[in-house]
Amino acid sequence: MPKSWPMCTDMSTLLDLQMRLRRAVLGGDTAEIVAAIQGDGLDPAARLGIYRHHAFSTLGDALQSTFPVVCRLVDKRFFAYAAHEYLREHPPHSRCLVEYGADFADFLADFKPSKDLPYLPDVARFEWALNIAATVREATPLQAEALAAVPAQQAAYVALRLQPSLSYFASSWPIDIIWQANKEDEVPPIDITSGGTSLEIRRAGEAVAWRRLDPGTFASARRSPTALCSPPRWRPRP
Amino acid sequence: MTKCRPIPSHSVGIGLRSPHVSEIAATRPELAFLEIHAENYMAETPALERLLELRRDYPVSLHGVALSLGSAEGLDCSHLSRFKALIERIEPMLVSEHLAWSAIGGAYLNDLLPFPYTEASLDLFCRHVEEAQEALGRRLLIENPSSYLRYSDSPIPEAEFITAVARRTGCGILCDVNNIHVSAWNFGFDPIAYLEALPIEAIGEIHLAGHHIAKDVNMLIDDHGSRIAQPVWELYAAALRRFGPVPTLIEWDTNVPALEVLLDEARDAEELAHVHRYVDVA
Repeated sequence: MPKSWPMCTDMSTLLDLQMRLRRAVLGGDTAEIVAAIQGDGLDPAARLGIYRHHAFSTLGDALQSTFPVVCRLVDKRFFAYAAHEYLREHPPHSRCLVEYGADFADFLADFKPSKDLPYLPDVARFEWALNIAATVREATPLQAEALAAVPAQQAAYVALRLQPSLSYFASSWPIDIIWQANKEDEVPPIDITSGGTSLEIRRAGEAVAWRRLDPGTFASARRSPTALCSPPRWRPRP
Repeated sequence: MTKCRPIPSHSVGIGLRSPHVSEIAATRPELAFLEIHAENYMAETPALERLLELRRDYPVSLHGVALSLGSAEGLDCSHLSRFKALIERIEPMLVSEHLAWSAIGGAYLNDLLPFPYTEASLDLFCRHVEEAQEALGRRLLIENPSSYLRYSDSPIPEAEFITAVARRTGCGILCDVNNIHVSAWNFGFDPIAYLEALPIEAIGEIHLAGHHIAKDVNMLIDDHGSRIAQPVWELYAAALRRFGPVPTLIEWDTNVPALEVLLDEARDAEELAHVHRYVDVA
């Protein structure tokens, strides 16, 4: 390699360049990166547009794959617009795209153009719970004999953990009915004033299953410190 | 003195795409290997279970798209750990990544973005390749990207840059013939000269794919969404003449057609490889 190649890019310069390209790709100002790009007979902004288009279309597709019913409820064009606005402000952190969209429901709750669909954020929360359940490994259930073998004086110190895919979800809208109806080719009439729903969601083999819980069971199950991503744990008290 | 290297009877594989999984499982077509994008199998999905079943019958090539080896920041340790865990489960025949970056400042942009080729970026990229090879316990193949922009201050030609990476780190090169054609067309360089600048001994795999022309900007776009174009077949023949038999992948990621179309492309590649089964090795 010739020795004449200059040390023209130190790391702070490269970091700065990559941050500028990131902003341009995510729909920000392209002016701050254009000067670093060789024209080669084409406007550098057009060159940037190819990368921007790829990022928005593939990340938008990833969101659509995770939130298919949200997409159907608002139609593809509106979904693409909402996804575009979302990923400008909330680009993925994880490099596994099935993990992208954790706060999409919260974004939709504040997204004024869809405020006439007040159930939309909860449909997104439900689809996110389905997505989580579909992407975590099922734990092997504890056999009753194993529990029976624990000496009585140690029983208070046994720590039990629920299936990692398990989550509980409540909405003041009939989200499960809305979701199921929109998986059909022709959506049957839905009475969205028919009341809320309380759901338990979990992975079942290769599928994801959910069921409605009565208010008492739901309240009892939910009393444990559950969250969509972190299963409840009971720990022995000191 | 010259000697000849015979080609293995089957050297061509295809990218495993979800619409084809059931058919491949049922019909077990003759293929040298299946290639997967590593990031699609890092979650505990049913797709991973299916892959592990297919793994009993096919070697798997693990192709990473998100290590972001060209990022000015350090490597993402948690992603590297997940990559390593997947390697341990899959036991792949090849592990590859890209001469590109895709994440900065906590944002993953899901694209293979270019960076300037300079002495400083060469040092950085080599350090990242060495760290990744050390952490993963595997030799990496590094793929040349397709590009739509070049930086004003990027003095090292890409083929020389990737060659230097291979020589310094001991990594191999994944020679994407379609990417060479796309970039050569977009920037007006000679694709044969690019091939000839690559070190024969470092080439560990070849990628073949389709592209399309974006008429509004008069550029070729590497979209892996169509059959392999004739100029790319010709460049593949030139690559076979130079590199000899190399595992070759048919990539198809968008507008995925029937499995038979991929198998048809694989047969064409296999025939071409057969024609060039003997190569002069100095």
